[in-house]
Parts: sequence; C-alpha cells; structure tokens
Amino acid sequence: MAKVKVATDWLAACAGCHMSVLDMDERLVQLLDKIELTSTPITDLKHPPKEGVTVGILTGAVSNTTNIEVVKQMRERCQILIALGDCAVFGGIVSMRNFFDMDEALKRAYVETESTVDGQIPCSEELGRPVRVCAVNQVVKVDIHIPGCPPSPDVIYYALAELLEGRVPVLTGDNLKYD
Amino acid sequence: MATVNIKINGQQIQARAGITVLEAAKEAGLDIPTLCHHPALANIGACRVCLVEVAKQRTLQPACTFPISEGMEVETESPKAVEARKFVLQMLFSERNHYCMYCEMSGDCELQALAYRYGLDHWTYPSPHAKMPVDGTRKYFIMDHNRCILCRRCIRACSDLAANHTLGVRFRGAKTMISADMDVPFGESTCVSCGTCLQVCPTGALIDRKSAYMGREVHVERTASTCTFCAVGCGTSVVTRAGHVLRVEGDWDAPNQGVLCVAGRFEPLYDTRERITSPMVRKGNGLVPVSWDEALAAIAAKAKGNGGKKTAAYVTGKALNDTLSEFVKVFQGKVRATVGTLEPTLADLELPVGGALADLDTADCVLVVGGDPLATHRVLGYRVKRALDKGARLLVVSDKPNGMAALAHRIFPMAQVAEAVKIAQGSTAPVVIYGGDLDKAGARKLAALTGKARFISLFQGTNGYRARELGLKNTLNANGVKVLYLLLGDGELPEKAVQEARRAAFLVVHAAYKSAATDAADVVLPAPLWYEQDGNFTTLDGRKAVVKSAVAAPEGVLAEAEVLARLAEAL
Repeated sequence: MAKVKVATDWLAACAGCHMSVLDMDERLVQLLDKIELTSTPITDLKHPPKEGVTVGILTGAVSNTTNIEVVKQMRERCQILIALGDCAVFGGIVSMRNFFDMDEALKRAYVETESTVDGQIPCSEELGRPVRVCAVNQVVKVDIHIPGCPPSPDVIYYALAELLEGRVPVLTGDNLKYD
Repeated sequence: MATVNIKINGQQIQARAGITVLEAAKEAGLDIPTLCHHPALANIGACRVCLVEVAKQRTLQPACTFPISEGMEVETESPKAVEARKFVLQMLFSERNHYCMYCEMSGDCELQALAYRYGLDHWTYPSPHAKMPVDGTRKYFIMDHNRCILCRRCIRACSDLAANHTLGVRFRGAKTMISADMDVPFGESTCVSCGTCLQVCPTGALIDRKSAYMGREVHVERTASTCTFCAVGCGTSVVTRAGHVLRVEGDWDAPNQGVLCVAGRFEPLYDTRERITSPMVRKGNGLVPVSWDEALAAIAAKAKGNGGKKTAAYVTGKALNDTLSEFVKVFQGKVRATVGTLEPTLADLELPVGGALADLDTADCVLVVGGDPLATHRVLGYRVKRALDKGARLLVVSDKPNGMAALAHRIFPMAQVAEAVKIAQGSTAPVVIYGGDLDKAGARKLAALTGKARFISLFQGTNGYRARELGLKNTLNANGVKVLYLLLGDGELPEKAVQEARRAAFLVVHAAYKSAATDAADVVLPAPLWYEQDGNFTTLDGRKAVVKSAVAAPEGVLAEAEVLARLAEAL
C-alpha cells in the first residue's frame, strides 16, 4: 500500500507543537512506515507538493498576510486539514496582540524592547503585513481540531493513528486539553 | 413530607415536593452540569448551562430553578439539551478572554471543565478581543473582568452570605460588568475583603494574589481546621503545598457556612513579624539561643524555692484547650502560682453564654451591647447583617463609635441599656451580643432577658469560653512577683502590659513572634502558629472546634502543652 502523504507547516508559532510532534519519539518512526512526510518546516521541502497530500497539519496562529497565503495553499493541497495546538485552533498566545493597537504592538516589539538599540519597524514590501490574529478556521475550513499548548505527543499520535484506521479522531477525556 | 414521582433519564425517582430538578437529580446520583449554580448560594438560572428537556414544556428549562411536579419527565442529556448546552458554552467562550493557556485558573476552572466535558475542541464564534479592565486596587485579590462570565456568584456571595451588598452589575446585555457600589474601584469600595466572592468564582476572574500560580488543586493538600483568630471558630480549609500555606478557604459545612473574614482568610499569610524559632536566655545584654533543656533549667533555677506566691503565670485566651489544661495543672496545681488570662473572660458580668451564629438566622431582634462584632468577631457581624436583611431589628448600646451603629434601628448610650432591653422584651426571638465594654450594672439590667434571649459573648480571647470555665481571670499584676511566665501564642502584649510585666524580677515569655514583650524577657520560648498545632478550642457558643496542623512547625518549636509538661518536670 502506498504511504499516506502528510505535510506540515507552522504559522505564527513558538515551534512547541512541532516539538511535540517530534516527541512522539519511536512512535514517529513507526508512523513513517505508513506515512510520508512530504514537507515540514524542519525538513528541506517547505511547501506541500503541488500534486497534493492527504493530510495537512498547521500549527500557529494566523497573524500576517504570509500566514494567510500558507494557510490557503495548504488547504488547496490537502484533503484533510488539521489545526494543531491552541494557536492554530483558537489564536492562542499570539492573539494577546489583538488586545492592543497594531502600531502599539509593533513599536513595543521592534523599538521599545529593552535589548533593542536604534530599532525600527520593518517595512519591506517583501514582508507580509501583520493582520488581526485569528485561528486557522477563521480563514479556511478546518477538518480536525487538536487543541493544547502544546498538544501532548500522545494525542497527536492518537489522531494520526485514528486517521490511518479510516476514523475521524474525537478527543475526549485527557486527550482534550487547552493548556 | 409530600413527595412527587418523576422520571429523569428514564429513571423513576421519588423526591420531596418543591425541590428543583437539579436537586432531585443530585439526590438520585445524576449529574446535571452547572455553572452559575453554587450549593451555598440561591439559584438564579443565569448561565443556562443546566438546561434540560422537560416533557410537555415548550422550551428547555434550567434545572437549577425549575421545580419538580408529579409525573414530570426530564431528559438531561438528550441531543436537544446537549446541543443547547454546547451553544451556551460557545457563547460564553466567545464573549471575553477565555484563552486557557495563559489563565491562572486553568486546571481548576469550571468553565474549562464543562468545555472538556462537552468536547469543545474549537470555537464556533471568533473572540471579539474586547479589552476589559483589570482591577488590582484591592490588597489581597484581583478582579480580571476579561475572565468574568457574569454568573453573579460573587454578587450573591457578597449579598447573601457576607450580607455586605458591595457587588452588583452595571449596564445590561453584552456591556454588563460586575461593579462595586456606585461603580468605584474595588479597593475604594465598601468591600470588607472577606474573600467569599473569591472562593466562589468559577473562573479566573477573581485571583488570590498570594497563591496565584502556586499550584492547582492536583498539586496542593487541604487540611480541615478552625480559624483561631477569634472565638467564632470558623471552619477553614487550609491549602498547603510542600510545607507552605498557600491560602485559607472557608468550610461550607461549618457553622460559618464558608464565610471567613480578612483576619482569618488573608492576614495570616501577610504576617511579616519575625518568628522565634529557638529558646533564648538573656546573657549579658542580649538574648542568646540555647537548648530547651538550658532554657527550662534557667526558669527552674529562678522559680524553685520561691513558693507559689512569688510566681505568677498568665496565658492568652487564644491558647488551645490542652494548653490551657496543662497551664492550669502546672501553675495552679503544681506550683500554686497566681494564674490568669491576658484577656477579659466576661465572667464578672454573670450573664448567660453559648449563643451561636445559627441563633441569628431566626432572630427578630438583635441587641448589641458594649462590643462591636464587625471589629472583633467579623463573621458574627456579617451574620447579624444577614438577620437584618431578613427583617430583624438592631439595637446598639454603646458609648463608643460602633461599626454596627450605621445599621441600627435605635442607638442607646450605655446608661440607657434598660430601654433597649424593654424593646427586646417585646420581640419574639431576641439575640443579645455583649462584649467587654459592658459594666456590671448594665449586665444586671441585661440579665432581665435571661430565658427569653440567646446570649452571644464577644470573648476577646479565642478560647475565652474555656478560660472562663477554668476560672481564669484577667488580672495581670507583677507587683512583688519574682518569676512571671507569659504565654502569648502568636499574639503580642499592649505596651502598658509589657511595662507591668517587666516589674517582675524574672520574666519568661512564650511566644511565636518577636515583640516588645519578648525583647523585655529574660527567657523566651518559641511557640507554634495556629496552623502548626493539633488540638481543639471551645468557641463562643461552647462548641469544641478542631484545629489541625496543616504544616510542620519550624524545627525546634514544640507544642505549647509539651513545653508546659517539660517545664513542670524541671520545676
């Protein structure tokens, strides 16, 4: 049987959710018998292949226009989209920024931080523009939500194993955690 | 007792008529989820989480307020009820900042627990990210409006339990906010920092400053004990972790019904006085730490051969029963010394004792004479205010400014106590609360209510009831005394008393904290704090209240009764 293709990417994130993916340890090796990781932020290929994948996994919140492009591309190229972690599911820690004015937040981050000398707010046209932080499901349809900050390796393994068995993972009991 | 037959989730149940669906379900062991409901508070059906399907009712009904009736059929987890409940939870999460990952309450939050129970793995409605104020103007706890779900538990605790009526809401609909008085910062309001609202808050909206981020319920231990601040004897749950007290909560099942006051709930954790952790003996100009044996031998050397007349011993009325018993056994029994207590026991007044908090619940007239429960026995004061809310009349007899005066229907000077007694005689269930400012003449007039009224004594010492039973009187006199022993517990002596004590040739002070009294002493013995000792004391209503050690005393600090027993051996 051909391996199930899986692509992952991160948006505005701390990388903790991807660490949690790696924390599946030997179970990740077992999974690789059945799945092929086509692209991830921690491997060479960064974008999901044009021919598409079965499962797309996004971590992190949508916080700028580049994130929106990444989300839309992943949605177009995968059949089942998983929002992994509190930021992708709810907006998470990143959404704290929404409680402040955008200029205020940028100034704090790039100019006023204690370690910054002669700081300036980046304005290159090549960079994405910051937007109001939101969850992935505010931009595209999400099929499976796995909250957690980060989700435990157990729940990530559970969700992938269920999908491989052809079932939709339903998080109950200790598998459903927001922190 | 009239009963009705109902069916909940197909289960036939016979329940008392007049109770709610929620109560009937609970009695039958069925768990209907709730959020604004709290067992100690009146139900208001505000949150709609407990919505259930009741046959022949047009819409879903809140179980917490819907009364049962004969033949009623209820489904608590039907698809319709579950759907509605999830919708309610989605709406609650969409309203303010309910991001659990950076909330202090995460893990113990009732809103979060419900979301887990109903499998909310994402939010249907985006958060508006409205920035709400955080009120940090109170010393002991913070109100974060961002985490508030407007369940109004705090309001009900403030008005129904503490009878303080500080909290309310301003505006309506989505703009509704919990506010204090006429919308002033909490720290500038009429709040008395009893902390009852903090204890009932289901989310992270009310946060205790001292114990925030110090551990959730799974990390901490709880010890059921009794507050020893005053003679009311409020049941407490002392929350500890790794040998440290994190916070103190009220026991819902104790006579205080969960309510504590600032002195019992918060102040013990803010005590900055210097602790005494070793016996000390004066050598040269200073007090030098020594072993227990050396300290006790130093006392014995001075006391032996003195004869009882030249030895005197006084104990704080805060001491536990076994300490008081041992104290009397050693100093009165063995040494034949002059003994007494450091606080008045109201014994001279020859008035009845034993009235309880619960007596106020049925009182139609409360007579407060020569004392201010709101200053010294606050939880009793709150209970009086509850009685007033229910329509009781309050008569205050006092020559001093009194915290209860503003609530009184009539205020009398002490000389006119007889007039207040006359009014009380015309009531059905009067309660008299009397304190140390009452004189013997006034007491004789008050005695006319004996048999008709319940008498609550404002003992100054926590264990004043037992001190009185033991015949201890407040007579500190060091004139001609060679050896004076003072057991202060965690208390201190007023300056005048320190001067009096210093007239003794040799002064022993047994205390938990360094103070003017220990500075003046020749021998200092360390004492444990209330949450470090095991025992019991007798409350103002004669109840035996159990005190349990929640954390260990510092090494070298022994139980008071044990020290007294060892001292007796040395003498």
